[in-house]
Amino acid sequence: MATYITRRLIQGVIVLLCVSFICFVIFRYTGDPVVTLAGVYSTIQDREEIRRAYGLDRPVIVQYVSFIARAAKGDFGNSYVTRVPAFGLIMERFPATVELVVTAVILALVLGTGLGVLVSLKPYAATNRLIMAASLGGISIPTFLIGILLIMIFSVYLGILPPFGRGETVTIGFWRTGFLTRSGIAHLILPALTLTGYQLAVLLRLTRAGMREVLTEEYIKTAWAKGLSPQRVIFKHALKNVLIPVVTMSGLMLGELLAFAVVTETIFQWPGMGNLLLKSIYESDQPVIVTYIMLASVIILSINILVDITYAFLNPRIRYD
Amino acid sequence: MKKMLSTIFVGILIAVLIGFGEDAKGASSIVVGVDSAPITMDPGGSNADPNFSVMANFFDGLLQRREDGKLYPALAERYEHPDLLTWKFYLKKGIKFHNGNPFTAADVKFTFERLKDPKCCSEFMDIGNQIASADIIDDYTIVIKTVTPDPSFDQNLDYLFMMDKESTEARNQGKVGIEPIGTGAYKLVEWVKGSYVKMTANEDYWGGAPPIRDVDMRPVTESSTRFAALVSGEVEMISGVPVELYDKLVNNPKIEVVSRPGRRPIFLALGNKPGAPWADMRVRKAMYMAINEEEIIAKVMRGQASPATQLADSAMVGYTEDIKRLPYDPVQAKKLLEEAGYADGFEITLAGPNDRYVQDEKICEAVAKYLAKIGIDCKLDVKPKAVFFPEIIAGDKYDFYLLGWLSNTYDYRQNYTFLFYTRGQEKGYGSWNGTSYSDPELDKLFDATDGMVDKKERRAALEDLSRKVMEKIGVIPLHLGLNTYAVQKAAEINFTPRPDRWLIFKDISKK
Repeated sequence: MATYITRRLIQGVIVLLCVSFICFVIFRYTGDPVVTLAGVYSTIQDREEIRRAYGLDRPVIVQYVSFIARAAKGDFGNSYVTRVPAFGLIMERFPATVELVVTAVILALVLGTGLGVLVSLKPYAATNRLIMAASLGGISIPTFLIGILLIMIFSVYLGILPPFGRGETVTIGFWRTGFLTRSGIAHLILPALTLTGYQLAVLLRLTRAGMREVLTEEYIKTAWAKGLSPQRVIFKHALKNVLIPVVTMSGLMLGELLAFAVVTETIFQWPGMGNLLLKSIYESDQPVIVTYIMLASVIILSINILVDITYAFLNPRIRYD
Repeated sequence: MKKMLSTIFVGILIAVLIGFGEDAKGASSIVVGVDSAPITMDPGGSNADPNFSVMANFFDGLLQRREDGKLYPALAERYEHPDLLTWKFYLKKGIKFHNGNPFTAADVKFTFERLKDPKCCSEFMDIGNQIASADIIDDYTIVIKTVTPDPSFDQNLDYLFMMDKESTEARNQGKVGIEPIGTGAYKLVEWVKGSYVKMTANEDYWGGAPPIRDVDMRPVTESSTRFAALVSGEVEMISGVPVELYDKLVNNPKIEVVSRPGRRPIFLALGNKPGAPWADMRVRKAMYMAINEEEIIAKVMRGQASPATQLADSAMVGYTEDIKRLPYDPVQAKKLLEEAGYADGFEITLAGPNDRYVQDEKICEAVAKYLAKIGIDCKLDVKPKAVFFPEIIAGDKYDFYLLGWLSNTYDYRQNYTFLFYTRGQEKGYGSWNGTSYSDPELDKLFDATDGMVDKKERRAALEDLSRKVMEKIGVIPLHLGLNTYAVQKAAEINFTPRPDRWLIFKDISKK
């Protein structure tokens, strides 16, 4: 196990270097940071002076190496737009995204597997067919549309849920949470539902397919024949064997949503990291973009490692030696 | 039984959710949804308008601009401009910063000299590099000298916000960027980036305490969400009514829409490199006359714009009413093309941003169609502003593109130097002249205005210049968008939109 994890970590560092380099180069060529830095009313001379002051006149590769050297010490540079450390800027928004995404993934996991099991037991019942049809909708309707529809229904017409922002928040240490106030929870409902829609549908369909396959297996028949209680057969013997792809999927989702919940965060003006990324791309704020994508890679890599470790617990036959 | 239970459950859920509705807002507080978020709390950190709008509540300039677009005294009670390079300011006495420090000439000197530092204030380098010296005469008198004559220097003084020397030097850039210490009518309570800026009245403000005590400013950049925020009552007022939702808001009995003509002309820049078809005056005229601006305003802008006649707005020095638009006349346009020898048309590429101005991409599409009607093969090349603007600034890539220009100095000098002046000369003018438009005759006329101290003479000369630019069709002007706001009628807000789109809360009150 230890060698496995070490190997994965080394791979991770290499991936990070590649990601940061590609990203550094791409965003260097999709917008000139000097234009952002110099503002609208600068003369050509002003711009050259700024280019020199920020070292942007050096070759890209030199800029990249000096960026990585500083990043290794934990200094990711200052944002070109706000002139405060890029890393702090992102971390300030981290709690908002984590709370939104964790809520959405938990909803998807609980409702998705729950409904999946339910549907798989009586696949031809009318209500279950309805659930399956709805899940198709969940997969095919784009997130932004779900978000706008929810806002239209619950905020504009019914007027019962707030359409944007996080509401009142409470700060505990560095963590600003919305979980502890009524307004914070109310503001969380619509974006969490929007974000969970697709994920829930995918998990539901995954669970259902797996369950239907497993339920026809010999050992399940044996379990029924032994006279075990339905709970034991369904949850202990059947579901546990279906969970591996479900856990993989949820892990991937968690990572992906933490890193790129951009659309939902934009629609609901959720003050999270995705919102910041979008704004930074608009303004070619390169230090923030590169730091962000490196952070996103770290999150996705570590979640993948965690998922791999979870396999071993779900299926004792899997070993990493 | 099961059905009944679920009905009861849903009923309870709805009741709980209704309970989540926000409480009514009082007369001494206001919640506003704005279309763009502030970037920094350092007034030297950004020259973007949304940022000025917030800074203007925490800080004051030496001068201030009112709703009429004119300058009035603020921290300076009066000033003199004795010769081309010299500006002398007499400061108001007894003004204090939020931290209690008195405001003196040393703070003015500090603020101006800080603008030279590219690390904190790179967006103000144009001003910083223009300051030759700042000499303190006494605590309340200061003389600023500029490097070159800048007759419109005073026009910058409403957005150059005065900072406290002592506390700005004592804190690092990170702190200065999040905690504003100014002389303004409001003090910052809390800024949660991306969520809100909360401010409270400065009871000791030199201009009297503002009528509204608590301000909660929330950026909602997504336009349909901003609309929902207003309609659902989460905010009492929004800036930037989306064009596509305008009718919905106007028809809503609870909402009032307030608008005023904007100051940003949208135009088509057109190069004049010798040899190109569009260097020919007849072709330029034909292209101008082929565009049906009335229809663009009605269909693309949904009525939310007024036609532009020149690259200046009515609040500016250099604007003149006697410039008229060329009429829309495709038949005459076609004739002009034939006369110029382009009966079969020619090929041209229209570039433009697709995420900057209201309906920018749609306007480009419309223009291409109008030009096609007179036989010009107009290709489109629209792209995000982060890519497009650097290309314009680097220059020589396009001969024809859509751009908008907001003059923050209310003076035609700026428009001319940035958009028309021949590039590549020692003055560094023409930095937004991406087509490398060049007309030495116009440049000469402009140079003459820089030596004029007499305001009347200078104004007449600039008006003349603006007229000549339009006679030569230096650009094809399109329109000025409307600045729109929407307020909840029940909140009874007294609000007059400003030409610069800033929200100055001390000038807003509730009945």
